[in-house]
Amino acid sequence: MQVTKKTEFKGFEKAVNLKPEEVIQVVKKSGLKGRGGANFSTGLKWEFTRKSPNPTKVVICNADEGEPGTFKDKLILTENPSIVIEGIAIAAYAIGAKFAYIYLRAEYEYLKENLEKAIEEYKAELDKIELNIDIVMGAGAYICGDETAIMNSIQELRGEPHAKPPYPVESGLCNYPTTINNVATLANVPLIMLDEWDDLRLYSLSGNLDSPGVYEMPLGITTKELIEKGTPKEEIKALFFGCAGGCLPYDPEMKLDVESVNEKGAMLGSCTVIAIGKSQSIPKICKNIAEFFVHESCGKCTPCREGNFRVLEIINKIVENKADEDDLNALEDLAIFINKTSLCGLGQASNTHIKTALKYFREEFTK
Amino acid sequence: MLRGRHIFDKGASKLLISRLRNIQKKEGYLSEENLKGVSKETKIPITRVYEVATFYSFFNVKKKGKHVIRLCNSPACLVNGSENILDIFEKLLGIKLGQTTEDGNFTLETTSCIGCCDESPAALVDEKAHTNLNEDKIKEIIEKCK
Repeated sequence: MQVTKKTEFKGFEKAVNLKPEEVIQVVKKSGLKGRGGANFSTGLKWEFTRKSPNPTKVVICNADEGEPGTFKDKLILTENPSIVIEGIAIAAYAIGAKFAYIYLRAEYEYLKENLEKAIEEYKAELDKIELNIDIVMGAGAYICGDETAIMNSIQELRGEPHAKPPYPVESGLCNYPTTINNVATLANVPLIMLDEWDDLRLYSLSGNLDSPGVYEMPLGITTKELIEKGTPKEEIKALFFGCAGGCLPYDPEMKLDVESVNEKGAMLGSCTVIAIGKSQSIPKICKNIAEFFVHESCGKCTPCREGNFRVLEIINKIVENKADEDDLNALEDLAIFINKTSLCGLGQASNTHIKTALKYFREEFTK
Repeated sequence: MLRGRHIFDKGASKLLISRLRNIQKKEGYLSEENLKGVSKETKIPITRVYEVATFYSFFNVKKKGKHVIRLCNSPACLVNGSENILDIFEKLLGIKLGQTTEDGNFTLETTSCIGCCDESPAALVDEKAHTNLNEDKIKEIIEKCK
């Protein structure tokens, strides 16, 4: 796996021999896109932050990996924390930041020590660019994976998101231009600087499988190539792309890339794939996901807070076999409404599973 | 109102969320008295301290058991039998989900995904992740915490 390579700050050394603008160009040209799910060009994000007029800049490493079914960042933070620190250092040098934060989710507290050790080990390198890296621990909130919510959480507020613009690259932490990158994104950066990088993704593969795990493969592979790695325990009928990405019937020939998954109404996001066996009930999984969103909705905007509550109410009826066609239609309407009117990405994606499940597995909802 | 460099100068350990974490670690939960203390010390209004304390799933403003068991409730754990694991916990602890044992030793909860999907079903017991759970492992966990 390339992200577990020990780069020992050699990528950083190469970077500081270039001008910051040149580092940005290298990253831009590489085509690296954000691994947190939004797929935005990392180089461009850095460029926007650097060009923002305020001279004080901030880097935040988003280690609030909360999307159910995702554990790629955990793998990196367990096996190669120093590559993340190196990535942060390169990002900070490129945009001109002296302050960096790692926002680590509470569930991963046992990984904090790894990061602290890596920061300590490379203290002399970080001092070269006068960079201070602090670790802020979360306290259990999925929404804090949202970049504006992370900032509020660090700023001693409730971890609620706010509408964009302003984007963090213009006005981020304490109103300073801020680059927020995912752990896996930053782990790719040293490899890019060393010219030892392939554009591979970390697929978090789980579900009814004998060998689930993180698999490093490019975008555009077929689902069969991925699922076979996981060795299905039983015939696979559906793939869930985390909780926010919705589900699709298992089609071995379907390509796993952003467009192909999007076209069918689901979202590939951070390459999370939960393979669901034939014996499982799709409405029951949807109920589980609806409970998740009711619990994790921050409550700031009404469609997400109240809408998801009603969604769960209807799904409970479905699972108890008390629902009729009107309920299904109401559910479908609600899903569209919540998607169109919610403030942030959480709310907007909170019903992708309903929309796709009703599209592809409707018969299971009327049984 | 909180815009400014003071966040940077403070250092992570002095941030509100970190203070609350530390208190909870020591005291087990965030009592009204403790929250008032934080407010006084930081000059952050008590309403905002309370707002933050009640926002996050891992903060408790009510006393909980000495050990908090958080069983993962993600789809990956669900399809690998987490419901059955919940039953076993309930049976062995003699409590229902959300309750605390009479001796105050355990609280049983579910939690959103803890990122152990390749070793499901899984649970966090305090800070530690326990994976590939089955009845024997659960007995062992409970025994060790006694």
